[in-house]
Amino acid sequence: MKKLVLALALILAVCGCAAFAADFPTKNIKLLVPFAAGGGTDAVARALASAAEKHLGQPVVVMNKAGGSGAVGMTEGATSKPDGYTVTMITREIAWLPQMGLAQITPDNFDLIALANEDPAIMLVQPDSKFKSVKDVLDAAKAAPGTVKFGSTAKPNFYLLALELNQKVKFSQIPYNGAAEAIPALMGGHVEFSMVNPGEAISQITSGQLKPLGVCSDKRMAGLPDVPTMTELGYPIVTGTWRGLAVPKGTPDAVKAVLGAAFQKAVAEPDFVAFMKGRTLGIRFMNAKDFKAFVDSDVKALTEIVEEVKKQQQK
Amino acid sequence: MLLLLWNGLCATFSFAIFPFLVIGVTGGIVIGALPGLTATMGVAVLLPFTFGMEATRALVMLCGIYIGAIYGGSISAILLKTPGTPAAAATVLDGYELARKGEAAKALSVSAIASFVGGMVSTVMLITISPVLASFALRFGAPEYFALAVFGLSIIASISGKSPVKGLLAGMFGLLISTVGLDPVTSYPRFTFGQINLYNGFAIIPVLIGLFALAEAFVQMERIFEKAQAIDTRFKHGMVSLKETISLLPLMIKSALIGTFIGAIPGAGADIAAFVTYNEARRSSKRGNEFGTGCIEGVAAPEAGNNGVTGGAMVPLLTLGVPGDAVTAILLGALIIQGLQPGPLLFTKNADIVYGLFSSLLVGNVLMLLFGLLGVRLFCRVVELPKRIIIPVIVTLSIVGAYSMNNSIFDVWVCIGFGIIGYIMQKVDMPSSPIILAVILGPMAESNLRRAVLMYQGSYSFLWTRPIGVVFLALAALSLYSSYRRAHS
Repeated sequence: MKKLVLALALILAVCGCAAFAADFPTKNIKLLVPFAAGGGTDAVARALASAAEKHLGQPVVVMNKAGGSGAVGMTEGATSKPDGYTVTMITREIAWLPQMGLAQITPDNFDLIALANEDPAIMLVQPDSKFKSVKDVLDAAKAAPGTVKFGSTAKPNFYLLALELNQKVKFSQIPYNGAAEAIPALMGGHVEFSMVNPGEAISQITSGQLKPLGVCSDKRMAGLPDVPTMTELGYPIVTGTWRGLAVPKGTPDAVKAVLGAAFQKAVAEPDFVAFMKGRTLGIRFMNAKDFKAFVDSDVKALTEIVEEVKKQQQK
Repeated sequence: MLLLLWNGLCATFSFAIFPFLVIGVTGGIVIGALPGLTATMGVAVLLPFTFGMEATRALVMLCGIYIGAIYGGSISAILLKTPGTPAAAATVLDGYELARKGEAAKALSVSAIASFVGGMVSTVMLITISPVLASFALRFGAPEYFALAVFGLSIIASISGKSPVKGLLAGMFGLLISTVGLDPVTSYPRFTFGQINLYNGFAIIPVLIGLFALAEAFVQMERIFEKAQAIDTRFKHGMVSLKETISLLPLMIKSALIGTFIGAIPGAGADIAAFVTYNEARRSSKRGNEFGTGCIEGVAAPEAGNNGVTGGAMVPLLTLGVPGDAVTAILLGALIIQGLQPGPLLFTKNADIVYGLFSSLLVGNVLMLLFGLLGVRLFCRVVELPKRIIIPVIVTLSIVGAYSMNNSIFDVWVCIGFGIIGYIMQKVDMPSSPIILAVILGPMAESNLRRAVLMYQGSYSFLWTRPIGVVFLALAALSLYSSYRRAHS
């Protein structure tokens, strides 16, 4: 059925291509957000939508379609009409949901437009924790595998799995529903450390209620210049999350070019830059080609981790 | 502090702020009263409009929506047996029965007053002892949440009406529904039959609308052309008397305090508070047996309790920077967008905004009371409408509500499915509230039990070694016992 839809859509696209590539867009553009209103992805999407409007000359309407860790919304986005009027905010979930068997669509069902945001994972402990450094955390785990309690913001947790596989250690993973639950659990001392995105914990970090030990990126964060990277500390772990824009496969090239150019200008809009800075969200722009290579390499990087998750599920 | 509060009050009544508070509260009441539009959704949808606003103005409007919507849900719960928000699900139990007895005006006025008391008490607690509340809330770990959820589930016994067995059956069915979706620990899909729409389980709003609003509409449809009204619109008793209000005051304050406390714990919100306070009111009442047949205490307690959550949920938001419930999670975003960092520093760095917020919560609650009481006559008109008009309206609103929560046709089918289930349940005289309670609390109980077991390396000793948890488990036993004794006396 889906193939049929895709095929039909493709034919439509080919026929219609010449007609509307000349003047795109002529009506509202729908930005599909695969997570609920009020969350982090929603916030980025809304800020980006309003920044892109003036460059597209048409209103960009955000529509939330949550469910299945983003699978529901991204599936709808991938199977919608490939005319450029439905743009989907895709997130890192697209790189692992299909591998886990939790989504039927893969990044190949999309034509990628641009990467807009990337955030590293950051390791946090309580300020009076017995762990003073990343080394302390890892040493404790090596001394007693599977006992150090990790407050997990998502399941499966790819930040923790990256750390475990890289350092050949084992933690006790306590799964919570998002950072909103995991952070109070860490503050209350119910878990011993956690890994979240900086924007999720910035108020606790600046007020000293939580202490960052290391950032999982290749260079230090502008907002937290005193926090060393994991690589600096001798643990080459680079992981995080990203959000970008995509349209269904088969969208005409001319339309994609219009969208790509508009969103490239949008991420440089002062309002958008200020918004992202205020929420400690990282802006990282990539054009369609680079974004495609980026996603492909992430899928590959996650393959090993996904195999590990599947092994754990079977236990 | 008093000076700061006074300054805040002056600011609230200024022309720059007051209109936004009025818009927020009235908008909130409307949003709350419409099934499918919840406080969370109202705040989330309006959030982008506040980006360009001055900080206090934006926060005041969003908080106005919050308190208005939590109260507004009770209006449709009482008049139409359709809780406008999950927070009003407990209000249906006695509120609708009161309306059926011709005491809609009384139920509505009590709901407004109780919501006001709940909001005021919790705001005062927020202003005075939030650091204490916050540090207590942080002591809630997985074992405590599990015990709280079990205590909540024990309430099924007291909302089961005449037949506890049927109530238990409904509760078990609800728990079964709540297991649908990805396993909270391993992410393995359970009972999803390959349907990605079910990975997050059944969304609560479509289930709620189906079981209450649609099911009731289906039942009413059977007699759609009959002249006789299900609800007696001759207001036999009018609004609640001052004397009665005073006699309800201790109950309202107690419920408000429970609500504040539940609100302060991250992850537990107004829906849970409403059921817990309803249960506590029933347990401590001399006329506990009459609950569920149209008892005014059964409206006062959950309404004071759910609005008690509003102030309570702000406690962790403002002191720790973590949200107390779904609405405050969005408010957290609003604060950050305004360039404010929630947390202990907020009180020193932005005291004017914090106290502006406090005073507008106080004033907002007064406005809510005012609009609520002024609106009673108007709201009651709804039930005077002929059934052939009101039922199609309810059905339309239900379907739109189910769809709009997540722009999902799947949710519409869920809603209709549960409407049919609810209809059958009414026919066999089985209560549907236990299903809602189980759907709200089932996932909380399950994931926290499993978290606790993981934390304790497979041991169950947390069941008796954690004092707060033991207290809740004991309360659960007590709640079951008192329901049992009541049923057999």
